[in-house]
Amino acid sequence: MSLSRSPSPVPGGGWSSPGLNISTSGRSSPTRGYSGANGTPVMWESARLKRAGDSGYPSFSTQNKGFFTRHMRRLSSSLPRFNAGNFYPDEKKDKPSQGSWSGPKVPLLGRLRGILARMGRKMKIRLMMLLLLILSIVLFYNTPLVYYWRRSPWLGGGQKFVIILAANVGGGVMEWKGAREWAIERDSVRNKKKYVAKWGYDLEIVDMSTKKRYAHEWRESWEKVDFIRSSLRKYPKAEWIWWLDLNTFIMEPTYSLQDHIFNNLEKHVYRDINEYNPLNITHPITDDFLDAESRSPVGDGNANSVNLILSQDCSGFNLGSFFVRRSPWIDRLLDVWWDPVAYEQKHMEWEHKEQDALEQLYTTQPWIRKHTAFLPQRMINSFPTGACSENGNDTRIHYDKKDRDFLVNMAGCEWGRDCWGEMYNFRELSYYLNRNPWERFKEDLVAVAWYKLTGRKVKL
Amino acid sequence: MHFAYPPRKSSNPPPYLRAAKLPGLRRSRLKVIAAAGFAFLVLIYLLTRPAGHGHYKSYVPTGNPPVVIVTAFDEMKYDKPYLDMIKDNRIQYAEKHGTGKCADLCLGYKTFFGKVGDYDLKGAPSSWTNVVAVRHALTEFPDCKFIWYLDQHAFIMNPELTIEEHVMKASKLEDLMIKDYPVVPPDSIIKTFSHLKGQDIDFVVTQDKDGMSANSYVIRNGDWARFFLETWFDPLYRSYNFQRAETHALEHIVQWHPTVLARLGLVPQRTLNTYSRGDKGVEYQEGDFTVIFNGCSSTKECDAEAQRYVERWRSEFKST
Repeated sequence: MSLSRSPSPVPGGGWSSPGLNISTSGRSSPTRGYSGANGTPVMWESARLKRAGDSGYPSFSTQNKGFFTRHMRRLSSSLPRFNAGNFYPDEKKDKPSQGSWSGPKVPLLGRLRGILARMGRKMKIRLMMLLLLILSIVLFYNTPLVYYWRRSPWLGGGQKFVIILAANVGGGVMEWKGAREWAIERDSVRNKKKYVAKWGYDLEIVDMSTKKRYAHEWRESWEKVDFIRSSLRKYPKAEWIWWLDLNTFIMEPTYSLQDHIFNNLEKHVYRDINEYNPLNITHPITDDFLDAESRSPVGDGNANSVNLILSQDCSGFNLGSFFVRRSPWIDRLLDVWWDPVAYEQKHMEWEHKEQDALEQLYTTQPWIRKHTAFLPQRMINSFPTGACSENGNDTRIHYDKKDRDFLVNMAGCEWGRDCWGEMYNFRELSYYLNRNPWERFKEDLVAVAWYKLTGRKVKL
Repeated sequence: MHFAYPPRKSSNPPPYLRAAKLPGLRRSRLKVIAAAGFAFLVLIYLLTRPAGHGHYKSYVPTGNPPVVIVTAFDEMKYDKPYLDMIKDNRIQYAEKHGTGKCADLCLGYKTFFGKVGDYDLKGAPSSWTNVVAVRHALTEFPDCKFIWYLDQHAFIMNPELTIEEHVMKASKLEDLMIKDYPVVPPDSIIKTFSHLKGQDIDFVVTQDKDGMSANSYVIRNGDWARFFLETWFDPLYRSYNFQRAETHALEHIVQWHPTVLARLGLVPQRTLNTYSRGDKGVEYQEGDFTVIFNGCSSTKECDAEAQRYVERWRSEFKST
């Protein structure tokens, strides 16, 4: 701006280089230095301009000719005032928009105070409520608060559930675990840990490696019984214990057990095994000496008498994923599950050991039937296409990603199938199905559009 | 200037003062009330949410009849007069504790007689009928408090004694119970629990010199009783050829399954299981509850044993 004005060579004016002295604000301030230095009197601008006007010197810059000279005042008054806070304390209320233009000199706190002071009371309250809401949401979801909420017995009730994960199957001393076995175990454990952390349950990882305790005894593979017992002791608040084999993967971690099964237990379970009866068990028991409840196909028909929930696959009971409820009844079942007399007579037939023993108990003992219920297999125990595949794909048995099945159990993958491959595929599928909206936007819209435009695939 | 009194208040009400409709319901108070109401609703919601489902409660028997006496008769092997004599003994005892003594609400003892051949034992020895008959009695009398199983070769000798008072009463039972004692004498490593209280006991049984005795025992009605009897009657036990059938099966269950042992009260044989001959166990003495004709295996033998006691129990029953 200063250079748009040419220097006015006025004799005695003292403006040796006016560009330096005309301040950006357009006002010239009298400087004492000049008057002291060369004795010239202080000149005010009006006088100077006047003198410049009527001086005989030719000048290419005439008075009132320049745009800035003419509009200086108007322009400058509409420009922001950088030290408004200091100079115009009274004008604040009249010009609320000015605050947003405040210069860097005003501290943040002061500016905020200014905003607040200018705000109406109602607005303040509304803002406060909004802030409070955001704060509580952040507090709830970004702190352990949500965890404790879901865990506490009278809010979320997560403490009532314990997951037992059978790790290290057949490993340990008997057999070296390869990289794949380690990877399977790592993925499976991580999956359960995440699920448990999300919903406030407890996770108990048990070591199924063949122990010395069982190695010379018949009871091998009845370790389940001992582990369930010790977990009931270890977690005194647990009501339900969920047994999971190692080769399982929770595909939908957003399903809580409460929502998925237990809040509506009577709707989900079936107690009349005739609904799906691959073993052709005669049901109900018809012996005359039994009471009506024992002879009824559904026990007492009340969901709170269900103490054991399992699912059936194509060949009968499946104990890869089942629930037991803490009750005197379960103590009795765990107690009689293994019996030397039964084992001695049946061990040649019992290929699946404890699973067959349970089938035997279910078949012969009315008190077991009364408290056992079944879930449709795909609610807790979907199979990949490789398992139970003799009769092709069965909608009752096999995983379908369209239905977003809860859990997949790669049962029997250690016999001739690729456990790690299946685990990997299901893990990736689970991540894919549970992408967050931002990932969906990136991958389903942006990446696709990019592919169509450029013909190149991108990973965002 | 000083006035004697402060100036009077104007009798004209000031303008613009809004008359409250209800004194307590100002705008600000309304807000407080609304907030309190909301908090209350939240509290109600939290307290009444479906908290899963109620806990399972097993059926509590009303105690009518208090005791059912169960005996299984083998009518194929033994003659009818002999068995009728024993039935008569049971019925008379039950009647003694029926209508005669109580004033208003009479809950008499009941008898339940099983019969060999009534039940399909799948080829197991006929003595297994004893077990299934008890289970059947539970079905027939779901409200009974106790079931007393007494072998067919036995008389009830003392009509004064009752099951509730002299056997199952918690304080009495605590006196009677033999604690920390091998369940199968002499050297089983499984011993009866020593911490049990009288009310924990659902199953009262005795031992004789051979081991556990299933001639006479008492079971408290409930879920546990059904579990225990059905387990005892398991087809795999029946098919196992235990030497003494259900008696050895009982010994097996008691030793291998702690949920059974934890409900078991071992009492002296004299309490409800005295024998007519002392070679196998405690011999009957005057005043004992029962006498069991042990070691007899035909109508003739058993009847001879029974005749020694018939007169005695009949006179005892008449005198009381």
